[in-house]
Amino acid sequence: MNGLLQEFIVSLRLHFRNRMALIYSYIFPTIFLVAFWVLYRYDRVPLVRHMGELLTVTALGGACFGLPTTMVSERERGVWRRFRLAPVSTVSLVASTVMARYVLLLIAGLLQVVLAMIIGMPRPPHPVDLWIAFTCVAFAFMGLGLVIAMLADNVPAVQALGQCIFLPMLIIGGVAVPLASLPAWAQHLSAFFPGRYAVDAIQQTVTGPGLSAAAFSILALVLIGLAGCIAGAGLFRWDAAERFSARGGKTWVAVALLAWVAVGAFAEWQGRIAAQTPAEPTRAAVPAPAPVAPPAASPATPAPSTESQNASEPAAAPTAANRSTSSTPAREQPARNSASTANQSAATTALSDAGTHSETASHPRSSSTSGRATPPATTSSRGRAVGSSAASTERREAVDTAPTPPVARDTDAVGSTTTNEPASAAPTRWQDVTLADINDTLVFDRLPPDTGVVTPVAKLDELADPDDNDQLEAMTAALATWAPGQVADPVQRVRNYLFVPAVIDVFQMPIERFVPLIIFNRLKTDMPKDQLEKILYWIAIHPDEGDDSAVDNLRPLGLQNGPSDMAEVRNRTGVYAVKLLGRLLGKIVQE
Amino acid sequence: MSAKVTVRDLRKRYGGVEAAAGVSFDIHDGEIFGLLGPNGAGKTTTVECVIGLRLPDAGTIEICGLDARRQPRAVKQKIGAALQTTALQDKITPREALALFGAFYARRAEPDALLDRFSLRDKANAPFDTLSGGQRQRLALALAFVNEPELVFLDEPTTGLDPQSRLELHAEIAQMKRDGHTVLLTTHYIDEANALCDRVAIIDHGRIIAVGAPQDLIAASQAAPTVSFTTSRPLPAASLAPLVPAGGLTQDGSAVRFSTTDVRRTLGDLLALVDREGVDLTDLHVQKTTLEGVFIELTGSDLRD
Repeated sequence: MNGLLQEFIVSLRLHFRNRMALIYSYIFPTIFLVAFWVLYRYDRVPLVRHMGELLTVTALGGACFGLPTTMVSERERGVWRRFRLAPVSTVSLVASTVMARYVLLLIAGLLQVVLAMIIGMPRPPHPVDLWIAFTCVAFAFMGLGLVIAMLADNVPAVQALGQCIFLPMLIIGGVAVPLASLPAWAQHLSAFFPGRYAVDAIQQTVTGPGLSAAAFSILALVLIGLAGCIAGAGLFRWDAAERFSARGGKTWVAVALLAWVAVGAFAEWQGRIAAQTPAEPTRAAVPAPAPVAPPAASPATPAPSTESQNASEPAAAPTAANRSTSSTPAREQPARNSASTANQSAATTALSDAGTHSETASHPRSSSTSGRATPPATTSSRGRAVGSSAASTERREAVDTAPTPPVARDTDAVGSTTTNEPASAAPTRWQDVTLADINDTLVFDRLPPDTGVVTPVAKLDELADPDDNDQLEAMTAALATWAPGQVADPVQRVRNYLFVPAVIDVFQMPIERFVPLIIFNRLKTDMPKDQLEKILYWIAIHPDEGDDSAVDNLRPLGLQNGPSDMAEVRNRTGVYAVKLLGRLLGKIVQE
Repeated sequence: MSAKVTVRDLRKRYGGVEAAAGVSFDIHDGEIFGLLGPNGAGKTTTVECVIGLRLPDAGTIEICGLDARRQPRAVKQKIGAALQTTALQDKITPREALALFGAFYARRAEPDALLDRFSLRDKANAPFDTLSGGQRQRLALALAFVNEPELVFLDEPTTGLDPQSRLELHAEIAQMKRDGHTVLLTTHYIDEANALCDRVAIIDHGRIIAVGAPQDLIAASQAAPTVSFTTSRPLPAASLAPLVPAGGLTQDGSAVRFSTTDVRRTLGDLLALVDREGVDLTDLHVQKTTLEGVFIELTGSDLRD
């Protein structure tokens, strides 16, 4: 026991003296973190939805490369031979090495969580669950690392074997690429890799309800880890001279692989291979039965009369927007101020609000709305499926893979909505715009589709992720006091408002589909309908006029400032102007 | 004397090569026992099987009254070993290594005492990868003593050391015996075996071909004694020929060497010859063969090839 402890301590101490090992253990995870942050920096709460992937990559790297590299290089050099002269058992040597590696992984994971929190991620709500999940992930991958260490005769072989497991797991195993954006065959394949369960287990403890929702994944990880340890023990060799090929250990490799296959087959049998990551169904399923709004939400809940009034309008904005316009001043605070706990409760509120709303609002409209043929997919441009409140699973399966159209097509889209020379003389001031001008010049049926990548607009019954909802709420609140929305010139004011969805669209942020309707609602309360009609028309045919400094004043809304490609932003401003005008005039039916 | 180690019919095969082909020997309590043989003779395989680094194919090994194949860990508590090359982690220091390995044993020596005894005090906190070859070898020896072993195995301990270090190590090994340790050492240096070992086993092609004290082995040799002498000036080659009618005489200037079965008669002839030629004898040796001679006689091959 004493020897095991000494070996454990010495292993750790030596690790911290080894510069290369430190780079592998701590610089790489930091690079992963930065990479994920860069990739997802437009998420309002940075990294929180990617901790599963991030921590899994870290554990995978440390366990698939770090552990076997250390073990094989020590064995290769004959260090283990020297240990073997002492009365050391195989178990204690392996146990102390694995324990030391576990501590190193834990430190690396902690480093990432702390760094992510510094960047702005809220404190994980279930730290103990997170620790347990991470431990299971580390266990599963270290089992894998042990098998690699026993199979590989030398360090280059470790690298080769490690890559064989690391890269597929990253790409089609659901670790680096979200499962929802993978083709169906890859999703099925991913069930046979432990990475998917690792991501799920960790993610459930960061953004989900905790370990309780990840029971299957935890079980899968423990099983895979156990199989790896058993196979590793069976394959164990003290001496580099005892080659793997010379020993009849192949059946032990089968043990490890069998665990993967068993877990994958079980997942298939259980029908756990949905298009969603295992984390998603719980999120998407929430609205199905309308949850009871928590007491905290009641002051903000508007009277039923407001509700029906909103719903009866031809184009009602999403619920979050409706809520905020009628919300108490206490909720109208800048997004950045909301603390993590506030986010939590706000998310719940938003969800329950949305649930109740869709229940009440959808019935009258479904009867009054004609041509309600549901377009197939309702997903964001990032490919992350967003559950519809109708909880129709078949709708969620389709993944939007439409490529971003070139700028030219976009211009065409706008151009095609305007005819070049109207019959009457074009108005020179927005005040002179007539309904005839609008009808003569604009066509509303050749716009980019609302379900597409360019200028998407959400359907009324579409629900954002809880986190997105959160962000939308905060943005709605912040819009009330946003300086560019207060300027005196009404055209500039509308322009400024339209920049918001345009910029978000260009950034392809997850919330992009929901913002146009928030802005629409805002505009409708800001000015009379006839004035808004004229101004939207004016902006649609003059997208390149006016001041665009508002694009650099987006931070109060919880956004990054605008992109450098202003032409693209103005283009999309024009398209959104037409889309909203169409809704205002009843030419476009908001589904 | 009781046997500290008893090996009977030890066999170990690697592929088509039988590295140990029925090795048997005993090591007595308190003696220094040498396994002498050329490279590839099976010395290391034999030792590695005895100390538990390899699993023998067949044979019995009894160490300190324990069956080494049945109770390897109990045996390892009682023995210490220094391998031909000892590799440790690059960044471990001698002090840490001694503490770490000491922790595996029930009985353990003070690391500081070992550092002093093996002259590692100055390097106690230096990383292993900065130690010289001699320092690494001393650390390997120190590690062999962390458990105050009854029995010490030294596999080619002086190979690759400079003459000064070798002499120091010889003194150290002699001291081990005085301290009451039983020592098994393998070597391919004849002088080392001759100077250090109480008994020697000559091993070749995986078999022990002779066992005994060096002087007994030499005494038992069938080889003819060697006569070598030097004169004040070279003798004419023709005058030397009658000394050895059978031939086999080598002359290098004034140094002459030959073998003879009748030492008394040949020396008489030699004295008469130098008297006749009017030269002085500056050096004269008669030797009843060496350990090397015994080895060549037994195996028909040169020990150092």
